[in-house]
Formats: sequence, C-alpha cells, structure tokens
Amino acid sequence: MALLVIDDLEKTYDKVTALTGIDLSVEAGEFVTLLGPSGSGKTTLLMSLAGFTTPSKGTIRLDGKDITHVDPEDRNFGFVFQGYALFPHLSVANNIAFSLRVRKWEKPKIAARVAEMLSLVGLDNLAERKPRELSGGQQQRVAIARALAFGPRILLLDEPLSALDRMLRESMQKELKRLHRETGVTFVYVTHDQEEAIAMSDRIAVFNHGRIVEIGLPRDLYKKPSTRFVAGFLGENNFLSGHRADDDETMVEAFGTRFGSAPVKGRRERPGDTLTVWVRPEDIRIGQATDDEIGFRATVVENSFVGALERILLKTATGEQMVATLRSEAAVAAVPGQVIDCRIDPSAIGVLPNETRGS
Amino acid sequence: MRLRRIIEVGLPRLLAWCLLGFLFVPILVVIPVALTDRDYLSLPQDGISMEHFAALTDWSKGWLPSMLTSAGIALACAAIATALGVAFAVGAWAAGGWWPSLMRILLLSPMIVPPIIYAVGMVKLWARLSLLDSYTGVVLVHVVLALPLTVLAIGASLSNLDQRLVQAARSLGARPMTVFGKVILPNIVPGVAAGALLAFVASWDEITVTLFITGRAVVTLPRRIWTSIQDAVDPALAAIATVLLVVTVLALVARALIERRQRQRKF
Repeated sequence: MALLVIDDLEKTYDKVTALTGIDLSVEAGEFVTLLGPSGSGKTTLLMSLAGFTTPSKGTIRLDGKDITHVDPEDRNFGFVFQGYALFPHLSVANNIAFSLRVRKWEKPKIAARVAEMLSLVGLDNLAERKPRELSGGQQQRVAIARALAFGPRILLLDEPLSALDRMLRESMQKELKRLHRETGVTFVYVTHDQEEAIAMSDRIAVFNHGRIVEIGLPRDLYKKPSTRFVAGFLGENNFLSGHRADDDETMVEAFGTRFGSAPVKGRRERPGDTLTVWVRPEDIRIGQATDDEIGFRATVVENSFVGALERILLKTATGEQMVATLRSEAAVAAVPGQVIDCRIDPSAIGVLPNETRGS
Repeated sequence: MRLRRIIEVGLPRLLAWCLLGFLFVPILVVIPVALTDRDYLSLPQDGISMEHFAALTDWSKGWLPSMLTSAGIALACAAIATALGVAFAVGAWAAGGWWPSLMRILLLSPMIVPPIIYAVGMVKLWARLSLLDSYTGVVLVHVVLALPLTVLAIGASLSNLDQRLVQAARSLGARPMTVFGKVILPNIVPGVAAGALLAFVASWDEITVTLFITGRAVVTLPRRIWTSIQDAVDPALAAIATVLLVVTVLALVARALIERRQRQRKF
C-alpha cells in the first residue's frame, strides 16, 4: 500500500478555487515532484500535506490513517522552505538540534545525531556559525539537515533551489538526489522549473489551474504527453496544426506533408478532424529523408548560436514556424533565406486532439 | 570663495550648536542651583553647599519615600505593560487579518486622547471601584498609558521577523508555547527591552492623571515635586533634578557603549 494517499482534495478561498479533485498516491522512498506554473496549486497541496493549510474537502492518509486534520507538529514531516527559514538566533548545530530537543532526546544522542547530520550535508566545520554567516548554498544544506534530523517519514520541499544561482542549483540537484538515495526518505518536491523536475524526480505530477493535469515518469511525460499543456510545459516544443487525412484515418496531414499515425484508442477521431501536431526541436534534422522518415522543405528564417547547439528558426511550406536545434556541424547548410530539406523520424511526432483552450 | 564657505558650512553649523545649546543649557542650570547655600531657589552666593542633596536622603522630608513609591509603581507598570504588550503584539503578528489592526487602534488611543480627559474619566471610574489613591489604581492607569509604547516597540521588532519561522518550528515538532519561548521571544529581545524601558519611564514621570487619582496615601515623585513647587520653592527640587539628570546621562552612555560592543561582535 502506498505510504501517502491523497483523495479528492479541494481547497477554496472565499470563492477562489486553489486546488480541486486532487488524487495522488506516493510510495515509500519515492521522489515525487509537483510541477506547475505559479498559482497552479502545487504549493497549496504541499502546505496541506504539511498541515499549514486545511483542505476544504477530501482526505490525506498516511499508512492508511487519516491525517487531514492533524496539527503540523504531530505529523513528523520534514519541511524545507523557500528561503530556508533558519532560526537566526541559533547556531547551525542548534538549528539542527531543535527538533531533537523538542522531542526530549538525551544530550549525547542529540550530539551524535547533529554530528551525523552535519557530515551528511558536508558542513562539519561550520557547526558553531550563525545562519547569517553562511552562504546561500550552506544555508540550504542546514535547512535540509534540520528537516531530516528527527528522521521524518516524508520530506516536503518548497522550491528550495529557487534562490540559488544556476551553477549552485545544478550541484544542489545532485546533492538532493544523493541525500534522497542515502536516507531513503520519501521526498515531495515543489518546483516551477521543468528541467529540475525532469533531472531529479521518480515521478512528476504536473499542475495547472488547481488540478493535476498528468502524473507519470519524467521520460513518459516528455516523450508521450497526453495533453497539450504538458507537451508545452516540459521541454521546448513546436506545435503545428494538422488534421486526419480525408481518405485514410491512419494518416495525418500537417506542415505540408503526410505521415502515418494511428488514431489513439479510446479517442474518437474521424477523417478530416483537426489535430494538434507536436515535434521537439531536437528531433528535426537537415538533409534528404530516407524511406522511413518524413521529408519536408522549409525556409531558414534565423540561425542563432547557443553554445553546444545551433538554434534554427524554420518556416514551413504552410507558413508555420518551427524551431530546430542542431549540432553546429550539422547546421552549416542552414543559411538564412535558404530553402532546405528537413527530415523527421515519424515516431518522434506527437499527435493530440485539438483543444480549444490550453488546459 | 571664503565667504561662500562660511555661509554654506559655518552658518548651518553655528545654528545647529545654538539649537543644541538652547535645548541643553537650561537643563544644566539646575546643577549650580542645586548647590546653592540659600534655602530658596537661587544661584550659589557665598560658596556652594551640599545640604539640599542631604535633604533628599532624609526620610522624613518625603523625597526618598516618594522615589521608592515611584520606582515600585514604575517597575510594576513596566512588568505588566511589557507582558501584555508581548502577548498582544505576538498574537496580532501570528494571527494576521483585520482584527489586530482594529485592536491596535484601540490600544493606541491613550496616546491620542489628551491625558486630562482620560484623567477626568478615571477619577469617576476609580471612585466607583474605590481604587482612588491606591497603588493598584495608579499601576493600572500607568499600565494603560504605557501599553501603546510597549506594543509599538515590540511590534517594530516583530515586523522584521520571518513568519515562516513559526511554520518551521511547528514542522520540527514544536508546540505553540515552545514556538513562543524558543523561537519568537529570543528574536524580539531588543524590542521587549525597549518597550519595558519606555513603560518604566512613562510611569516614572507621569503627572497629569496621577494628580487626579492620588491623594495622601500614594505620593509618587512627580507628585511630591508638584506639591513642593506649590507651597515653597525648595532648592531640593534642583537637587533631585540633578540626580535624575545624572542617572539619565549615565544610562544613555551605558546604552551607547553596549550597542557599540554588540556591533563590534557582529562584524
């Protein structure tokens, strides 16, 4: 049975719905990320899990026991705050020891545990410093050590890396993954950064407008999104309009070409139905298509160098724009103004029903 | 060029010194007056005398008892007003919403209502509750007058405190009283100390309302001074003013020194 089960959770403020119809279960030891734009409800869910927000409807169960209305201090969940919220009057060691003193541990046990936590996050020599004497990354480590010290079942993290610069963020991502592996604690992680979510999570729940749009493995959400929102939110994507071929329902016509794509089971599609077609920038290549590939011609609009890759803006025969990212040596032919041959592996093309709104 | 410099720099500086002198010199006048050898308010004529200082320590003259009365009332007032101020300020800070703002206006009203109006009201009320001319009555009134000061001082301290510290402490297993004692209070000590000091001083030199609600039983120092001005201009007045002046200056110097040391420790 899952460690944490959230059932039909809802939170409304006055007349504003912050969260609705949330069903989610988290297995013990999992790293689950709640991903979504700001205001999508992911932080409200985290606050409900911590007990700082009381849901308007639904239940949260831990080991099958209803904890929806249990006080935060009785939940035994660790919480890492955005901006850390370290106790400014206490040293690093005393910040970490706080939860142990509250639980009335014996002194030698506290000292041993604090030392263990300090070495876990690599801050052994900073035990006596005050939080204001530490860098952002160090404060972050203290916040994590403090939240893990008492051995919580679940660690809740609220955008913990958002205040750090890019380099530090990437090294802290690895650090968090290591801590997750070494401690075996279940992580529920909130972020609006899709790269972060993809790099760290076992599973991602994508939020939008107070609902979970999709839940799945990062790879599946990236490769086989079933909503336009997820296809656009995780990674860069090109969206084009297309439709089912009038004469053959296994074929799709889009950006001046035609390719096979069987209708998805359970979805009602008829010949002539309009569709949304997506293709990732990295899946577009330059050159003559082989028999297994789809070929099309496009005009190069712009070519910009972005480090390891070239980013090429193309205009298709139907007038739609798409972005392709290519290694520099492959992009030599992409001179602005030139019409070039492009190719795509048909399995890389995604087809979604046409949605009137972006939800 | 030189003239311009004198006008732009010298003149404002002179003005500033004149202003400071205007503020401070009249206060200093009490020192020679306190040392007068006459038994009326005057400057020393045939040499200086310590007799008026000696009179202060003479129990039967009433200065010492009234000083002790004032100190006792001021301490009680500071303790109660600080405790109430902390309770209100922390509660309002933690709760948020519309009611704390409303309560704050109510609490600050003693600062807005003229003391004389307040005094008239208190006489009526205390007469009915037979609290006139009692220590309890005076302490209660002083607490009401000091409460705005403690609430403001402690509130200022709290406004710099991160609200999430409370959530952090609770997520670590701390119950509300522990959160208050181990997280909030240690972080607002400067504000609490400032509030207590302000409350003490407010009670120590409160005269308007005290005059109305006290008689023979409770004689605070300001009341004693008031009475002595009325029946005879005793140079002991200048002596007591000198003592208060010296104590105040010493307290300010001590505070400056402590602050300096704290700042040095921080960096």
